[in-house]
Amino acid sequence: MELELRYFAMVREAVGERTTTREFDPETTVRDVLATLENDHPDLEGTLLADDGTIARSVTVLRNGTNVTHLERGATELADGDTLSITPPVTGG
Amino acid sequence: MSETLPSVYGGEILHVHLGTGDSEIESIDPRDARRFLGGNGFVAKQVAEHVPADADPFDPENVLALAVGPMNATPFQSTSRGVVGFVSPMTNGFFDSTFGGTLPQALKTTGFEVVVLHGTAEEHSYVLIDEDGAEVKSADGLEGTETYETCQEIREREDVGYDTHVLANGPAGENQVRYACLVHESKMREGVAGRGGAGAVLGSKNVKAIAVQGGDFQPEPAGDLQGRAVQQMGRLMDETEMLQEYGTAGLVNPINEMGKLGHRNMQTEQADAEDAEAVSGETLREEYVTEDTTCSNCAVKCGKHVSVEAEGITEGKIPEFESLFGTATLQEVYDPERVIKANDLCDRLGMDTISWGVTVAFARECYEKGLLDDDDSPHLEFGDADGLVELARQTAEREDFGDDLAEGSFRLAESLDDEAERYLYGAKGLEFAAHSARGLKGMSIGYATATRGGSHHDTRPTLQYDGNHDETTEGTPEFAARTQHFTALGDSLTQCRFVSEAGWGARVNERYAEAISLATGWELSTEDVEAIGERIYNVERLINVARGVADRGTDTLPHRTMHEPIPDGPSEGMYCPPEELEGMLDEYYEFRGWNDNGHPTTDTVDRLDLADVAESVAD
Repeated sequence: MELELRYFAMVREAVGERTTTREFDPETTVRDVLATLENDHPDLEGTLLADDGTIARSVTVLRNGTNVTHLERGATELADGDTLSITPPVTGG
Repeated sequence: MSETLPSVYGGEILHVHLGTGDSEIESIDPRDARRFLGGNGFVAKQVAEHVPADADPFDPENVLALAVGPMNATPFQSTSRGVVGFVSPMTNGFFDSTFGGTLPQALKTTGFEVVVLHGTAEEHSYVLIDEDGAEVKSADGLEGTETYETCQEIREREDVGYDTHVLANGPAGENQVRYACLVHESKMREGVAGRGGAGAVLGSKNVKAIAVQGGDFQPEPAGDLQGRAVQQMGRLMDETEMLQEYGTAGLVNPINEMGKLGHRNMQTEQADAEDAEAVSGETLREEYVTEDTTCSNCAVKCGKHVSVEAEGITEGKIPEFESLFGTATLQEVYDPERVIKANDLCDRLGMDTISWGVTVAFARECYEKGLLDDDDSPHLEFGDADGLVELARQTAEREDFGDDLAEGSFRLAESLDDEAERYLYGAKGLEFAAHSARGLKGMSIGYATATRGGSHHDTRPTLQYDGNHDETTEGTPEFAARTQHFTALGDSLTQCRFVSEAGWGARVNERYAEAISLATGWELSTEDVEAIGERIYNVERLINVARGVADRGTDTLPHRTMHEPIPDGPSEGMYCPPEELEGMLDEYYEFRGWNDNGHPTTDTVDRLDLADVAESVAD
């Protein structure tokens, strides 16, 4: 299935792109995508997933604009055509 | 046994009578230090004591009180912040507005924890404060000067360079634009006491600026505050990485992705991704940021300077997230250079970018709906970037339609057809900040009950974006109230909110209790320090109840927030219908110990040790 990945702030700096569209296996979860990104981009290692496999405090992940804390967090299954936004957590402002 | 004042306090309140130039010094009552802590708490106490309930914000009886906190000039991070307290020309209620920079730390070293300006100066003046007291000096030649220029001119007159720390009014304050702000240009960064109209109040007192030269006082914490602060440093730096890199402008893209960023005067809450990108922190950093800037004693350096050659801007202040909401997304203006220009003008002229931006966006929707026309102004089409810049200049000068904009959106609405009220976005006369009143349930009840009206520093949005009380009303009134305690406590410590939330926690917790205990020598529990925040919030409420601006009728939300769901995007369908707000108000009042009309009960006043304050505001 195809997912659109949107990167912001420090994650964008590490990935070097604003947006990518790429193929993932069916039943891919948020955690799977984050692990793939950490694997592909060494600068991201340890910044997207905590040691226990949960989403790290240093990022907020949105599935089609909805914070995955309202879904199944890292275990949220993704569907073809979904957009995953990886942003810094809201601080300040 | 009588209490002694902890040695972290300078110990004195300086009262300056502008009409005569006389000053008097009052010792801080140790009981008041323990009840109100500093900053926000101290200025609320001064307003309660000195401003009659029937005084107009522009009457000489209004005061402008400037205060710092007990931790200022200590190792406790990021406490070089000052608080100005006054009755607001926007809300006619109590208001406190904070700013960072170097002035607060300098004031702390004078030994004066609070400076209260009373009355009105006979001639255009500035007030110079040092450890010996205050001098009211002629501001001859500074009429109409911009804020940065004023700071520089006063530094030159005092002839000690940046050792004179200046908080200045611009033309907008002199012209009593109701949301005129105060700007502090220091050697290290700019700070703005942005909201509520502190500049207008200072202007009404015929005062152009407050200038401070530091003294020899050094606060002495009772315990190892430095060690405790160092322990927290790792978390602080980890959690503020985005602020370090992008400043608050880094929030534009994330919040737009959530569909909670107001667009076109709140008709929708999501801009096209490419439009948001154009005014995002990422774009500003890549294209315009030249250096990081910071307040005293802060390693985060969230401030940035931007330069835009085409606009003639060199090392201007980066627009904050809130300002980008007010001057870009609400206007449908996505030309970053024109947006930076409008923000730079607001800073130089001395205007709150939130209230001004929301007021312009409101006027633009009124124009779109036919309630205003080209005879009113030729600059009222959404997307008109050049018009936006021109309106900033006109507003500060109260020229043409700018004179109407200078009154704020609520007063402007009163001059138009009743339909105009449908397009307002604010509460109690103050325009809302960027954090959505529809898309965040905690902000719905938080804004409705906020002392300051449309303030995002009463109830905080931060935890809501992480999934706490954003979509549910369950427990949300208590959440909103308790974050109001958190902000009142933080503004009394005068610790930067961004640093405190990220480094120390976004709720009152044992870390704050421990730090305050180490600073003061008092043995305070978490419940004790939260009670300080609650007490201060009730002082503010008592002032506003006495002034007739706080009750169930004024604890409300604007039409669009209560009747028009977000039409599309990830937050589609969210709003706060009247029955939902009423239910949350019931819970909120019960939690607070207020009656059904939102007034603190006698039992609550007694529980919070506020009988003397309740008596003074009623006089």
